[in-house]
Amino acid sequence: MFIFDALSLVFVALILLGAIPNLFYSTGYLPHIDRKAHYQLHYFAFIFSMLGVVVSANALVFLFFWELMSLTSWQLILTEVKDKATIKAARFYFIMTHFGFLFLLLFFLIVTDGNLEIGFASMKLIASDFAYPTLLFFFLILGFLSKAGAVPLHVWLPYAHPQAPSPVSALMSGVMLKVAIYGMFRFLFDVLYPWPLEWGIVILTLGALSSLIGVLYALSEHDIKALLANHSIENIGIILIGFGMGMIFDTLGLRMLSTFAFIAALFHTFNHMSFKSLLFMGAGAVLHQTHTKNMEKYGGLIKAMPVTALTFLIAAISISALPPSNGFLSEWMIFQSMLSSSHIDNISLKLAIPFAIFALAMTGGLAIACFVKAYGITFLGLHRSTNAKHAHEVNFLMKSGMVLMTLVVLSLMLFTPYYMKWFDKVFIGLGHASVYAKIFPDGIWNMHSLGINGGIVSPLILLFSLLGVTLLMLLAYKVFGVKTRIHNAWACGYKTSQKTQYSATGFAGPIRRFFNWLYKPDEHFEKQTIAGHETKFDASHYEVHVKPLFEKVFYISIAKAVNYVSYWVYRLAHFEQTRYAAMIFNIMLVVLFSYRIFAHDFSWATFVLEFFVMMISVKILIIGDKK
Amino acid sequence: MILYIVSILLLVLLAPLLLSYIKATKMVLLFKRPISIFQGYRNFSKLLHKETIISEETSAITTYAPFLVLSPLIIVMFFLPPVVDGSYYVSFVDAFTITGLISLSTFFLMLLGLDSASAFGGMGSSREAFISALVEPAMVLTIFSVSLMAGNLGVGQAGVNLAQHFPKEHMASFLFAGISFFILLIAENGRIPVDNPETHLELTMVHEAMILDLTGVYLAIIETAASIKFIIFASLFASLFMPFGLEFAAPIAFLIFIAKLFFIATLVALLEVNTAKLRLFKIPNLLGLAIVFAFLSLITFYVLGA
Repeated sequence: MFIFDALSLVFVALILLGAIPNLFYSTGYLPHIDRKAHYQLHYFAFIFSMLGVVVSANALVFLFFWELMSLTSWQLILTEVKDKATIKAARFYFIMTHFGFLFLLLFFLIVTDGNLEIGFASMKLIASDFAYPTLLFFFLILGFLSKAGAVPLHVWLPYAHPQAPSPVSALMSGVMLKVAIYGMFRFLFDVLYPWPLEWGIVILTLGALSSLIGVLYALSEHDIKALLANHSIENIGIILIGFGMGMIFDTLGLRMLSTFAFIAALFHTFNHMSFKSLLFMGAGAVLHQTHTKNMEKYGGLIKAMPVTALTFLIAAISISALPPSNGFLSEWMIFQSMLSSSHIDNISLKLAIPFAIFALAMTGGLAIACFVKAYGITFLGLHRSTNAKHAHEVNFLMKSGMVLMTLVVLSLMLFTPYYMKWFDKVFIGLGHASVYAKIFPDGIWNMHSLGINGGIVSPLILLFSLLGVTLLMLLAYKVFGVKTRIHNAWACGYKTSQKTQYSATGFAGPIRRFFNWLYKPDEHFEKQTIAGHETKFDASHYEVHVKPLFEKVFYISIAKAVNYVSYWVYRLAHFEQTRYAAMIFNIMLVVLFSYRIFAHDFSWATFVLEFFVMMISVKILIIGDKK
Repeated sequence: MILYIVSILLLVLLAPLLLSYIKATKMVLLFKRPISIFQGYRNFSKLLHKETIISEETSAITTYAPFLVLSPLIIVMFFLPPVVDGSYYVSFVDAFTITGLISLSTFFLMLLGLDSASAFGGMGSSREAFISALVEPAMVLTIFSVSLMAGNLGVGQAGVNLAQHFPKEHMASFLFAGISFFILLIAENGRIPVDNPETHLELTMVHEAMILDLTGVYLAIIETAASIKFIIFASLFASLFMPFGLEFAAPIAFLIFIAKLFFIATLVALLEVNTAKLRLFKIPNLLGLAIVFAFLSLITFYVLGA
């Protein structure tokens, strides 16, 4: 019923690392929740069910815990129902997660042959006999990626995560998405093992798209929690890029590189857990003090909330993949595995992978821009609202949750080799060769890429040299005793005020304008002009909202089309019953004629005759006379 | 080891000179009376003697960020390819680490811009974020292509490999990568046509806008960081795209390297005199060109092997 191999244990460790600091934070957050018992019950059931998912050894237990995880998180989103948006987001989440569940159920019903209690090994036998393995693969990725939030199934994240209480968003974004990644590892390795090349390419493409789209929408977002939720999409994309590279290398027989790429994906899974939880906690602390999720109302919080600001800064550096942080190390590994694509013989694949490199590098650059915006607008400058002015540091428990999570981030940075040893064991357990000794051939100082002539990075040396140089300069600054004077900033003769600062909208302005073709923003610009002058006005209001393109194309337009068709059918069936009956008659005619044409002999003469009969019938019965 | 330290010190000392040289060259070309090429050092020492004025809106970020802007760049100096044969060099550090360190420096510079609550700082940060986001992919692809030609992902080793066996058969992709890298050199260092380092007009400022509120030692640190960034890019260009002259005796090799740096500086000055600054929203076209050349370089390498 339960399985405790290296993969499961590593994910148990991931969940515990994510949940234990969160427990402190959640306890500190509890006084602000009205329905305490409801919250606590679902919170613990949520953590328990995630642990259950990663240790379950058959389909029934897996699906039970999976569904429990979905339902408890759905209830947790509904903890604080303040407005209709919460209910709408929860409903959206509910539908999306059950959309995924449906495909998982289909997958399991096929691979278990109806007996849901058999183990993974027997599932593999059944799956290998199944005639359409790619169908199974698509069921699997639809099931898991709708939970993980990869494009195009990512639309629920920016709605659901902001509406949940902050500890829950940290847990959902940091840990629950990773449980879906666990599912990918578990079932692609244990059940669907020999992968065709195309599967890896599908995953790689989805990853590259998710990473770019996630970061682009994050940049246009002013709701801090929605911004972070969009960044989850980006990071899931980065994990999938590593995963896809691993699958591609495995299919091509480059086993060492494949393990390296998978380890990179797993490492990034851990890193994203740590810094995303920390960022959500920081955002939650800010939200808790200022009572708004709108970044334009923050500012200057670093002075009031130093602990939050420092931990948020560490997480921001890490998520922007800046050296020597852990986020940099895992992105470095993913980059190195992509650069090893020069060993591939397949020329079209070799030419395609630079586009994925381009996507990942672009993502890195935009992520830096996005976190400069998030950090700079939230914590720096002057307060932009009275709430931000009166903010102060959060309570001890919440603070300790954030500090503990910072320690997790730092431990992933400092003890990378130790974590790597465990990741290596996971893939030994999944039937790959050990690569730990190749990644760290000469002690813990240097991390090697496994490609021929691959790069090397030395995280600890980088960290210590950065700290050393900075401290040396600070020391010199202190020793020489430079005179420092505090004075108000020069602002062209005016005084600096909260209104003259750059806003989050303004900060993302150039990038928004460049990607206008993608964003298609709704802009609202009102101004009160003076005496009809176009350029002279004394009050103005500018707002810009970006509605995700995917939502417009895949969700809203489909909903609109279904709505339109159903309305049309309704009108027809209720108000124009003769025409409705005529249509049924005509459809019967079409079926009969086409049956005759396709099943029996085909002759042009009868075809033309039937065509004319159809046309006349349609004209007389359906279209009718012109009014 | 001595050569290694001497070359780093030499490059650091040369950094302000190179920027002053560009400025002086431009002034000569514009029929102005040129500044002395030692102006950089004069400014530096003058700034060191001034007191630091910190605006009252700022936070701890302003206190520490200038040091964090400079220190990653100083570390990058240790990872550059060697100037002379036989000198020690860090062979293994790859391009991601170097671009990452440069991004770290830019990250803190952008935070510095947002810290003082002035509209100028935010404007500079916003523009810098826009430009550096677009520079990143071109940079990674260009260096990937160069490292394929050099047969090593380590930047130091790549420089040495290129100097020892110049890949004549890959001349086409080498040239494409060179063009792309030169555009990046201009964009990352905020030279015309991407940014005008000499103006304080709000329509055009990028780098200057972020540091508008700094004085004294802090300004000196940031100006040093800017000149070191230029010398990093110039010496990367010199080592990777003009890989010759390492085999001579140390003093001559140094002289050749310095000559290469001045050649690059002259190129930049000529470009600055002959082009107008681009509008901010035209800059993606230029950087897109760099990206296209980087792709071209990779594709020529893979498909034609040329």
